[in-house]
Amino acid sequence: MNDITCKKIVGIDLGSREVKIIVTENKKIILRKKISTVSFYRDYCQYQDKIIVDLKKLGIEDVDLAVSTGYGRNNTDLSMFKPINEIKAHVYGALAQSGKKDFILLDIGGQDVKIVKIEKGLTTDLDLNDKCAASCGRYLENMANVLEVPLDSLSNYSKDPVKLNSTCAVFSESELIGKIAEGISLDRLAAGINYSMYSRLRPLLTKFRGNTLIVSGGVAKNRAIIEYLKSDYTEVKVLEDPQFNGAIGCCYYGENFI
Amino acid sequence: MKKIGLTTTVPLEVLLAAGYTPIDLNNIFVVSKDYGKYIEKAERDGFPKSMCAWIKGIYGACIENGIEEVLGVTEGDCSNTKTLLEIFKKNNIKIHSFGYPHSHSLDDIKNELDKLMKYMDVSYEEVEYQRNRLNLIREKAKHIDNLTLEGKATGFENHILQLCFSDFDGNVDRYSDFLDEKIEEINKRVTDKKELKLGYLGIPPMQGDLHDYVETLDGRFIYNEVQREFAFPRAMNSKNIYEQYYDYTYTYDIDFRLDDIKKQIKERQLDAVIHYTQAFCHRAVEDIILKQELNIPILTIEGDKSNALDARTKLRIEAFLDMLKDKKRSEKINE
Ligand code: SF4
Repeated sequence: MNDITCKKIVGIDLGSREVKIIVTENKKIILRKKISTVSFYRDYCQYQDKIIVDLKKLGIEDVDLAVSTGYGRNNTDLSMFKPINEIKAHVYGALAQSGKKDFILLDIGGQDVKIVKIEKGLTTDLDLNDKCAASCGRYLENMANVLEVPLDSLSNYSKDPVKLNSTCAVFSESELIGKIAEGISLDRLAAGINYSMYSRLRPLLTKFRGNTLIVSGGVAKNRAIIEYLKSDYTEVKVLEDPQFNGAIGCCYYGENFI
Repeated sequence: MKKIGLTTTVPLEVLLAAGYTPIDLNNIFVVSKDYGKYIEKAERDGFPKSMCAWIKGIYGACIENGIEEVLGVTEGDCSNTKTLLEIFKKNNIKIHSFGYPHSHSLDDIKNELDKLMKYMDVSYEEVEYQRNRLNLIREKAKHIDNLTLEGKATGFENHILQLCFSDFDGNVDRYSDFLDEKIEEINKRVTDKKELKLGYLGIPPMQGDLHDYVETLDGRFIYNEVQREFAFPRAMNSKNIYEQYYDYTYTYDIDFRLDDIKKQIKERQLDAVIHYTQAFCHRAVEDIILKQELNIPILTIEGDKSNALDARTKLRIEAFLDMLKDKKRSEKINE
């Protein structure tokens, strides 16, 4: 570790829907902030040659280091920020948060799914799925809307899931409406949504066998999916700050590698 | 001179004493632009999809190149070779076998070698004569290995030049001269060391671009385990042919192999190793032991039929080496 004590680092994860910000001082998190991606660029950035983040406006001052990561087209270089790739950011976040060195990391974000195998603290295998709306957070949100239940309560139901066969997010919606019309109980419908998402993750996960699964990203908060995953791994661990994992990883990178 | 096909490294000294020109079937298979056709030929002749590409390639290469005699290793290497030899026999190819005894006792190895010598009708003296001749050339492989450590020879040169010692590229004297030229050329180069020092473990890869690919990521294989064994780096220390083949690591038990790997990792101060396994190969299971026993980051990659790295494997290597660089830099900061 670097011996500059009291190093203040800001880590920014430019997500597709939300920007997550973490500030650490002396390796302790002193600030967590989540802003919609639109508002981040609109209200907190200026454009010169590069994008300049107005840290002051974000309530962050006197930082020693700034590290950023991001998804797809949002992965723009921010001036003054050291950009690192997203996989790395998430792996470092998971290493920092879990203290483990051998595990499989499943990150389910709003628009993509990442699976990474970590051995002896290094990435040895990875898979990304950003082409499918039916296996990421967006799907759960849409389906919760159809059911007219809050996303958080949807995640409570895991028992006796109704079978949703469709593999496509768009067709799943009409299938769900059909099931509602059949008079199936809300519990089973909600469980069915969770289970259908889990069963779409499964083929991705079969390539990543192991004992410990660490889950990050917004969907880590879905209790039902975590419950299902427990049947496939000896240990399933949800990170304490699943949505901030990428930003935490940025800070970890700053602490250890710059 | 009559050609004899080989399925892996065998005591060449005996074959040369008997007047044969040994040809490693693996090499003619993998460097050929027809490599895919050889595999296809094997599959058309009934070899299952779920069998490793090497066996099929060896088969195709042997048949298509009109090799009439084969020496196969039936113990210590691949269990599939036994059946392969039977298929060769059915194709009217004359077959011989050799075994690296599982017991790994000097007596048993002596026995095997004596059997082969008797069968090939050559004397111990003739064999020792050939051994001394070859060992002088094998010293050149060590030279190339050192040039790799110095940062002059590339990882690929280290791999291919040592690999070809399994049959001296089909012509002992010509290969010896070629190595002289190579060494001279490499010696003149300026040193080009890479940030990451890597080791390659396992049988030689199907993909010919692996070694160069890691160099684009600022890494270099400065240790090629099995290829180095093909060139018998410790041959000069052996008193006779028996000891030399007793000391060959990769055809015996894994612990024996591991001892040397551990030594090389330490001496060469490797940052990580990449372990290559072949789809459908029993050796893939050894990965478990290597990961347990070696206190160094290991990336395991698998090859099947293609002779070039696929996009996914490239991505894996890149991600692994990227984090390895972070790790190495942070260790430097903390020194
Ligand atoms: S790769 Fe494995 S299965 Fe194939 S020939 Fe070699 S040892 Fe046998």
